[in-house]
Amino acid sequence: MTLFLQALMNGLMTGALIAVPAVGFSAIFAVLRYPNFAIASYATIGAFAAWWANVVLGLPIIPALVIAFAIAGAVGVVAEESALSRLRGNGALIVAIASIALNLVLENIVRFIFGNDMRGYDLPLMRDMRFGDLRIGPQQLQSLALAVVIMAGMFAFLRYTRFGKAMRAVADNPDLARLKGIDPARIAIVTVFLGAGLTGVGGVLIGLDTSIDPLTGYRVLLSVFAAAVLGGLGSIPGAVVGALALGIAEELALIAVPATYRTAVGFIAILIMLTFRPRGILGERAV
Amino acid sequence: MAEFMTNRRTLLTGAAALAGIGALPKLALAQGAPIRIGTLTPLTGSGGPYGPVMVKAVKAVIDEVNAAGGVLGRKIELISEDDQTNPEAGVRAARKLIDVDKVSAILGTWASSVTTAVAPLCWESKTFLATVSGADSITQLPHQGYLIRTQPTTTLQGRKFGEFVIAEKAKRVFFLSPQTPFAKSQFDNITEAVKKGGGETASLIYDDKKPAYRTEIDEVLRFKPDAVVFGGYTPDTAVMLKDLFRAGFGGLKVAFGYSVNQKLVDSVPADVVDKTYTISPSSAEGSKAYERLVKLIGVPSPDPYTTQIYDQINLVLMAIALAGDASGTAIKDTIRKASQAPGGAKIDNAIDGLKAIAAKQPVDYDGASGPCDFTETGDISDSKFRYEQVQGGKIVLIKIA
Repeated sequence: MTLFLQALMNGLMTGALIAVPAVGFSAIFAVLRYPNFAIASYATIGAFAAWWANVVLGLPIIPALVIAFAIAGAVGVVAEESALSRLRGNGALIVAIASIALNLVLENIVRFIFGNDMRGYDLPLMRDMRFGDLRIGPQQLQSLALAVVIMAGMFAFLRYTRFGKAMRAVADNPDLARLKGIDPARIAIVTVFLGAGLTGVGGVLIGLDTSIDPLTGYRVLLSVFAAAVLGGLGSIPGAVVGALALGIAEELALIAVPATYRTAVGFIAILIMLTFRPRGILGERAV
Repeated sequence: MAEFMTNRRTLLTGAAALAGIGALPKLALAQGAPIRIGTLTPLTGSGGPYGPVMVKAVKAVIDEVNAAGGVLGRKIELISEDDQTNPEAGVRAARKLIDVDKVSAILGTWASSVTTAVAPLCWESKTFLATVSGADSITQLPHQGYLIRTQPTTTLQGRKFGEFVIAEKAKRVFFLSPQTPFAKSQFDNITEAVKKGGGETASLIYDDKKPAYRTEIDEVLRFKPDAVVFGGYTPDTAVMLKDLFRAGFGGLKVAFGYSVNQKLVDSVPADVVDKTYTISPSSAEGSKAYERLVKLIGVPSPDPYTTQIYDQINLVLMAIALAGDASGTAIKDTIRKASQAPGGAKIDNAIDGLKAIAAKQPVDYDGASGPCDFTETGDISDSKFRYEQVQGGKIVLIKIA
């Protein structure tokens, strides 16, 4: 029982880590209708931006997160406008492939600036708290709380602001939104900024748990994609649910199967989902 | 078809002629023709930084031995070829050494791929081959004894890890590694050593691309290990160390020297990695043979490959003297009498070795790279390793043993 509870809790925490970039990925997909695989490099860029703010400028972690959000968002917009936007007319597949190439370019720019070495944030590492046989890491709890706050903010933005409503309108039906006088190009820019920024913040949260190098984002790309598909591509609450489900499934699977096959759990989840419920857990449209 | 026949006839004649030439050196032997030894090291390519110094060490030993009168009354002649760290170039160079120069032995092949390609040429032509390549598979080739290596294999490295944790009084040992070509062999050999010391082992092979390993660490802790051995590379080992720290693990931590390096130490909080031990293959720094080599070639701290090829040339020259014959087969048959004769006089260079052999003394060579004792299959049965420990953010040398 302890075993199960502990795995459940661990899953919740890894899930929350993936949820933040998965929300960013889903937001971009919802509005622009293509899977942007360059989010791996946005996550890495966010992680390095926060490292620069934290270690070089000596800022605490919250301001570092804000800087990571802004820089990753800005990079996302520049990359989108300079490289991807003109390809959008050619269909989602072309843009998706171009985003893979873009990811390589951005990753290597990071490598060029910061080098290949591993880095870590200048934060003390705390021992886990113990409740009987269960352990909880204060840092993981903090990351979980940050993830919850960020996602709540994102929901509030979508639900209550004019811009959020406009975004949802474009996501729902771009043609109808245009008729209503919403400029899809402006919405696209803001969505990419938000999506890339969130992914950047996700990169920082992952970096807090592990360490950062130019491949930090790339390592979680598959999990993020799996979470988004699982939850329903393009659905933002779906991305959260998908990430949590994936995190829990991966950790619980460890009780039964060897740890080497952990990534396979993600693949199998996508496979089952696409077979029986192609629109995902919360997706409204089939994709 | 007829043309083909002619060709084959020409070939046969050629082969007969070659066989005749092959008989010539035997004739020349009596007249004291030089004994030829080849080096096949990387002078260019990714091994390029190592080859030239290796050749320098061989040349220095040969010059010294020649000045002292050579072996079997004959001078030693060195022929150096470049394998370009490339199997194809290596094979071409080896053919030249074997067919044209008729060397008795080839020393120093560096890359495992080159060694694997060159080895069949050597055993088929009965030329002795000594290599510094590490891949476990090399000594499993059907080389019939014509091959030895001075580089420790994964098997030996695993044993060293196991013996170290037992010596540190850890009885329950956990091996934590991503899927690598050497993970299984490493774990099997740790287990063997730990069981011999009355301990128990368990292992977990993890997926090295995950953001956190909390459940994996739970599994590690359920085993209640006294020691955790890390088999991974730097990035995943850093995450594992952090998660173990969070979980409150206070036991012994042991990792490869290439994994827990200064980069890792700098990237995590000091507490996380403090007191971690690292183990890596090492030259026999501080030994008499090592100091002699340093003086001989004027290089302050020669790399492991240079110390190894230095031992190879010393051993081959002594084996020739012991056999009274300079053929590859003779070297194959006597090399272990030069390296590890039971109760033999401890020798650390060829000059002393040749004197002892002339005085009919059995010899046991201990070299600059380590004890240089070989198993049946041609692996070294022991080697020097560097034991280091992270202390307050610095990696400190504990011992070389």
